[in-house]
Amino acid sequence: MKAPRSSMGGLLAAPAVLYMVVFFVVPSLILFVYSFWTAASYRIVPDFVFSNYLNSLMSPLFWTVTINAILIGLVTASVTLVLAIPVGYYLVYVSRSQVILYLILITWFSSYLVRIYAWRTLLGTSGVLNTILIQAGIVDTPVGVFLFSRFAVAITLIHIYLPFCILLVVSSLSEIKKDLVDAARDLGASPLGAFFRVIAPNAANGLVGAFMLTFVMVAGDYVTPQMLGGSSGQTTGLLIADQFRKTGNWPLGAAQAFLMFLVSIVIYLSVMGLGRATGLVVKRRPARKAGG
Amino acid sequence: MLLKLVVWSILAFLLMPLVIIVLFSFHASPSLSFPFAGFSLRWYAEVLGNAQLGSALVKSLTVAGFTALITLILGTAASLAWLRLGHRGRVLLEVLCLTPIALPGLFVGVSLLVLFAQARVQLSTVTIVISHVVLALPILIVAMRARLALFDPSLEEASRDLGASQMQTFGKVTLPLIAPTLIASAILAFAVSFDEFVVTSFVAGTETTLPMYIWSMMRRTVTPLINAISTLALVFSIAILFAAWLIGHLRRRSAVASRTVS
Repeated sequence: MKAPRSSMGGLLAAPAVLYMVVFFVVPSLILFVYSFWTAASYRIVPDFVFSNYLNSLMSPLFWTVTINAILIGLVTASVTLVLAIPVGYYLVYVSRSQVILYLILITWFSSYLVRIYAWRTLLGTSGVLNTILIQAGIVDTPVGVFLFSRFAVAITLIHIYLPFCILLVVSSLSEIKKDLVDAARDLGASPLGAFFRVIAPNAANGLVGAFMLTFVMVAGDYVTPQMLGGSSGQTTGLLIADQFRKTGNWPLGAAQAFLMFLVSIVIYLSVMGLGRATGLVVKRRPARKAGG
Repeated sequence: MLLKLVVWSILAFLLMPLVIIVLFSFHASPSLSFPFAGFSLRWYAEVLGNAQLGSALVKSLTVAGFTALITLILGTAASLAWLRLGHRGRVLLEVLCLTPIALPGLFVGVSLLVLFAQARVQLSTVTIVISHVVLALPILIVAMRARLALFDPSLEEASRDLGASQMQTFGKVTLPLIAPTLIASAILAFAVSFDEFVVTSFVAGTETTLPMYIWSMMRRTVTPLINAISTLALVFSIAILFAAWLIGHLRRRSAVASRTVS
């Protein structure tokens, strides 16, 4: 009885698995192989050199945009998580408000480009924010730094990825029973105390996961920096995208994509290390796995 | 009370830009700043008269339709497999699904571009659909997996024990039970494809989908015409979301009804 069931399972899973192998795993491997090839006069030559990696690491431009990407990524992911937690907390423990949930889903489903465009019109020199500031008499001349800066990129990215982060926080908080919070409150903990001493340690893995996913998405986003970053807010994502669109040095772009991947892993390990050192992240057995 | 205030301020931050977009789509003057110069439908009239926009919309609907169909077929089989697989099979499927979700679209886009170049495949509508399925399939499997956790495999066994063939069991027991989940998931796949821009920009070649068209307009200028297109896209997204909600709602009602019958 057992054997035919599982072989049937294998057969049913095969098309999807095959699809993902051919169109996701294989392309990723080709991209990795590409990162060791060379591009000479618009032709890509199979090779095995580390120059793409070395040239990137030696290039000041690469470091400028990568540090930008890391800074924007860390600030954005932190602010996004800090904003997502109260909303997630409210939805899980206070009121499962369908209205709030659907308002979040509406922003999540509203077009990515539309939201970038919205911030562009909001922050422009003749944009809504400047008009309000001038009419309120706070400033005399339009503030130009709103647009085309790291600030503009960060606020737009927060807006784009906050709904996603809220949903991740909701799912990680849902695993912690309200009884635990109630018990802590009965024993005299303040609401914030209950959060930091009871919820945060238990939900740490989920919250770190939400932070990291937001970081990876934000640091890899290249459209927002292109539209709103000006010259100071460029990131590695845009550098990589340009290698595949304008300059045409695909192997170099491939190497930079993998370097960015490496940076994300280093950040993840640092965040986990920091969490353990401060005692906020506790190593615990993944009890969830056993339940399926 | 303080928490409620914080939550609503955050929601205001999320909604405010969308409200501004919608408001200025009705602006009588071409400027996008206050003071508001009165309401007009001129930008919507311009949208309707724009042939390029129309063909981009048709292209997007076609791509999203095929993406939803292929994703639905592959995803349904994979989700049914999920119920039958052992632990190792599930882990494999999970890794294959979660990795692309956790990577930026840029990475997926350039690796597909490299694949198509290496295999000498001409970039076209077909390559866009192939790429969109890579993005939609993992989301569909993850979403379905959560819903199918409630599915009781003993119902299938009961049907088989009562003499139904494998096909009959699928058609009369499994499919009716999972159909609402399937439709809601297909809508999700459609929405993912319809809005996709990052990956598309690498694999579209000379084809223009709606987001690609909006992008080319955005780069050139700022005009309420883009607001009007955006508002229509927003209304469309809300309609999709509402349809998914409605199906989920009906499903819950029918589930409750069937429970009272048995």
